[in-house]
This record gives sequence, C-alpha cells and structure tokens, in this order.
Amino acid sequence: MSSGVTVSTLAKTVYEEVKKVKKYRYIIYHIKDEKVIDVESTGPREATYQEFLENLQNFKTDCRYCVFDFPAPLPAEVSSESMSVDRLVLMTCTRGTGHDNHVHVVQAMIIMQYSLSSFCKCKSVFNGEMCGRCPEAAKVKQKMLYSSSYDALKKALVGVYKYIQACDFEEVSQEAIEDAFRKGSK
Amino acid sequence: MTDEVGALVFDMGHYSIRAGYAGEDSPKIPRCCVCQAEIPSTYGVTEEVTNGGVGEPMDMDGGPAPQKKYFFDTNSLHVAKRGMEAVTFLKDGMIEDWDAFEKSLDYLYEKHIRSDPHLHPVLMSEVSWNTRAKREKLTELMFEKYNIPAFYLVKNAVLAAFANGRSTGLILDSGASQTSAVPVHDGYVLTQAIVQPHQRVQITKWGSGRFWCMGAAVVKIPLAGDFLTHQCKLVLEENNIELVPPYLIAAKDAVKDLEAPRWTRKSGLPEVTKSWHSYMVKEMLQDFQSTVLQVSDSPYDKESVENMPTVHYELPNGYNQDFGVERFHIPEGLFDPTTIKGASASTIGVAQVVTTSLGMCDIDVRPSLYGSVIVTGGNTLLQGFTDRLNRDLSAKTPPSMRLKIISSNANTERRYGAWIGGSILASLVQVYEVSPNLVLWMGKQGTFQQMWISKQEYDEGGKSQVDRKCP
Repeated sequence: MSSGVTVSTLAKTVYEEVKKVKKYRYIIYHIKDEKVIDVESTGPREATYQEFLENLQNFKTDCRYCVFDFPAPLPAEVSSESMSVDRLVLMTCTRGTGHDNHVHVVQAMIIMQYSLSSFCKCKSVFNGEMCGRCPEAAKVKQKMLYSSSYDALKKALVGVYKYIQACDFEEVSQEAIEDAFRKGSK
Repeated sequence: MTDEVGALVFDMGHYSIRAGYAGEDSPKIPRCCVCQAEIPSTYGVTEEVTNGGVGEPMDMDGGPAPQKKYFFDTNSLHVAKRGMEAVTFLKDGMIEDWDAFEKSLDYLYEKHIRSDPHLHPVLMSEVSWNTRAKREKLTELMFEKYNIPAFYLVKNAVLAAFANGRSTGLILDSGASQTSAVPVHDGYVLTQAIVQPHQRVQITKWGSGRFWCMGAAVVKIPLAGDFLTHQCKLVLEENNIELVPPYLIAAKDAVKDLEAPRWTRKSGLPEVTKSWHSYMVKEMLQDFQSTVLQVSDSPYDKESVENMPTVHYELPNGYNQDFGVERFHIPEGLFDPTTIKGASASTIGVAQVVTTSLGMCDIDVRPSLYGSVIVTGGNTLLQGFTDRLNRDLSAKTPPSMRLKIISSNANTERRYGAWIGGSILASLVQVYEVSPNLVLWMGKQGTFQQMWISKQEYDEGGKSQVDRKCP
C-alpha cells in the first residue's frame, strides 16, 4: 500500500546523472507539498560520507530520502573473498561497467530513507536535545508521509544496490552501511 | 455554498473504538493528532419485552417482541441496569455481531462525529487476519447503509509501521485480547495466505521486479492485556482480597495497610448480570494493572525481585497494601508462559512470537525485519515491557542479524498508533468540495485519493472492489 505520492521527472533525471555520468556524490530528496518527491539538494563528487552525514544532521527531525553513491572498499584479506566477489558480480550487473576482480573500490548505490524518530540511542549526537522533546504530531505525520511514499521512489530509481531505512544516525553510520553490504540480502 | 469536509478514521480494538476526523490541521479537532472519540468496545445490551428497567429511558415503542437496547460509551455503560449484559461485537479482532456494530457506528456518527455519513470518506483499520467475507460485508455496509462517498480499509499493522517511519518491519502489537507479530514489507502485510488458505501462495511484488512467494507469517497469542487482568484477579483472590468494583460502594473508611476494609454497600441497586459485573471488576483491575505491574528485566527470580521497590495500591473499597513480588510475577507469564498455572506446554511467549514469525518469513527479508521490530499497542506500555523484549530477543537473534526495536516514547502514539497513522494517510486526500447536492472530488487535491474506493467504483464494481483496491 502506498500514499500515492509521485516521483518528479527531475528526481529521476538527477539519479540517472549520478548513476551514469557520476555527476554528484549524493542526492537528498524531499516530498514537496505532500505530493511529489523532488530533489532538494545534491552533493559534489568530492564529498565524503562523513560530510554527507553532517549535512544530514542539519535536518534534525525532518525526514528525507537520500541516494549515496557509496565507495565500498573491498577487504584485502582473502578470508572474506567469497563475499566480495559475490558483491562485485552484483555490482557489475547493476552498473554495467567493465571492472574486473582486481579493482579495489566498487561503487554502490544506496538509497536511504532517513526519518528521525523519538527513539534514538545516539543521545551524544543530539546532546539529548531532541530526545527530551515530546514527539509532536507533525513528526508522526512526516514519518507517515515518507514511509508510505518510499515504495514509489524505490520503483522509480532502478539499479539501487541497497535499501536502508534509518530512524537514527546509528543506522546510517558508515559501519552500519558496510555491514549491510556484507550481508547478501536486500 | 461550499464547505470543506474531511475523512473519518475508525480504528477498532478489543479495548476501545477510536474514531474521529483525519488530519491535524482541521479546525474541528484539537491541534494534537489525537482522535476525538474513544469509546469502550464493550457495550451494554438489554433485551426487554416491556419497559420495566430501573432508571431506563422510557421506550415509546416497547412492542411485544423482545427488543434489544444498546448502551454505548462509558457513561451509560457504567450505570447499573437490570439484565444488562456487557458484550463486545468483536471476536478475534474481527467484527462478529454486525447489528451491534451498526448500532455503535450509528452512535458514533450521532454523538461524536455529529455529521452526515454521506459527506465523509471513511478509512477503517482492520486486523491482518481479517477474512475476505468480512471485508466485503463491511464495504457493502458502509456504501449501502451509510452511503459514504469513499472507503478504504488498511491493515492496522501497516498503519503502525508507517506511523513509526518504516515501510518494512515486524510489528509486534500487544493489545487487549491478543499479542501478534505481523511482518510488513514495502507497506504490505506478508500474510494473505493465513487468511485465505486457498490462496496459499501469495505473490508479492518485490522492488527490482523479482517475484517472491510469501507464506503465512502472522503469529498471535492470547497473552495480552486481558490475560494480565485475569491473572491479577486470580492472584488477588488467592490472597483473599475481595474485589469490589466501585459501583457497589456507597461509602468507605480509611484503613491501615492490610486491614480488613470498612465500606458500606450501595442500596437499591438493580439486579445486574454476571457479565456486566465482571466487566466492572475488569475495569477496576485494569487500573491496578497499569499502576502496579512491571515486567522484570531478566527472567523472573523470586530472590532478586524481593529487593525491588514495592508499590502501594488502594482498591476502591479502601483495602490497601504494598505489592512487591506480585508486581513482577503476574506479567512474567507474557514472556515466560511456563510460569502460568495450567498453561499448555506449547504456549509461546512474546519474544518467541516475534522469532516464530520471523522464522516463517523469506530469508531475504529477515535482516530488514530484525532491523525494525516495531512495538505498538496499549499493553506494551506496561513498565519494562520493551526492555525485557529487547533482552529476550537479543538472546535469540542470530549473530548475523542486527536487532533494532522501535517504540514510540509517547503513550498516545503507542496506544493510538494505528489511528494516528490512518488519520495522516486519510488527511493526504484532504479536501472535498461539497455543493448542496453532491460531493465532488476536488481535482488533484490530495495524493491518497486515487487509492480510495469511490462510491462510483463501488456502484460499478461491487463489494469485491475492496479486494482489488485495499490489499
């Protein structure tokens, strides 16, 4: 079931630009007027994941969708090689580029639905500021709107490697994402 | 003349029925997103041949045939009436007594919503295991009897997931009558097979266009709020504590701890039915339950619990004492059913409900479900519930999975999770324009409107529209 919110053409175009010509490092989407998913901002190619997270923190209690072109380093150890080979294959399929097995960096698309909830373990990040506040209806509304429209975006953006739903920063930390890469599932 | 009207949202549970206008910007409701009406889902019903009841409103058309008279809402339900049975129209979360259900809708429309049904689209929540026949019947009733302009049915688990910001997750809902675990993926409940056995294989569309077969994965147990109330009753009776609901009490004196209560009985009470009396006892115990009980954060152990702080509680008849061990012993049954007297060995606890459900889901969805276990329902407000669940689940989570339990800190959000979710969803459709004779859909006002079953669609396609449009 979904809310009926649609995805704008611009949102798709910008995504294609990231996917094909690597124009940006990340895209942040928002829902405009409760109707259309649109691009809110984009990050330059040089941006790191840390910078992206910092940018994300500016939204505090707002919900956003993000696409991040994630440079996932392959572990050098042979021990987990079977995993990484697996991933490479997947990547080749989705990206259609001619990397061979010696490449040490693969690009992965991740799309994140980022919605802060009152439940957060990362008190240190927020200095307790938002934990102390009683969750207001507006926040539930945002959460509701974004999660019920997530499916539309998922369908519109083809070739995403990993889907991540996050309610706090712990869930979008670099470790968590790399952890998700290691697991074969969606 | 035009007027703006909003959609109505109904959410029914065994404890109460929540109803109200959707959206929080509407001037008709307070700013906070809370439903305007919450009535107990238990109601009084009397059958009378003549008008002979005590203190009853006179019924003009008291014909010879026995007529059912319904009493809704706390105020009329709490008045002792001769021969009034306390019953509910729900069974297993589904509508069982349709006459009573209609009556309760009539009551809600008349007293709380105070508007004409034909003006407002209706969004209703349903349990994930609702049957096809009941869904169609409900659709038929809403369009035929109430003549509503549009209708939508949503699974309450989906609403709860959305209200917690997730489109995928495992919803653990512990309410009055049941604790259930329902896996939701991309806004769809992975369950159809359990409801309709002939559709054993439900094909669910998956993000990248692959198709997966989902089996039944909804698990429910009867260990929830009502079970705890019953346990409280047993324990108190075992300790020879008399359970006197407030309606029997005319006056009471203050007594010391553990002393026999001194109270006088109200005189002139009509002869009440057993079901009504036990409902009143149940209400009294529900207060006891929410004040006193706490789930111990590790498996119950008498020695360690004896050192925990006690809670002082006074029953309506004045009897009061400190409750210590009982506080933890009673709710332990939720998590460890072996502590329940007379429970069969196969009964499973709350944490197991979650793991059993997860175990039935496709292996590829499991990581994302473990990553968002959403806790909702009034019974989960029990002190220590989430902590204990976290502990028990962590112990059962395979090392390859990341466990995350999501629960709203706000009481209202957890009690009314599904209603709030429905309200927001329905408010996306927002405004209609009402001209004197007909209700028009306003162009592209809201995004959700294409999802509704409109009156026109119902007229053309019949009640089976609900199976097509509301998955």
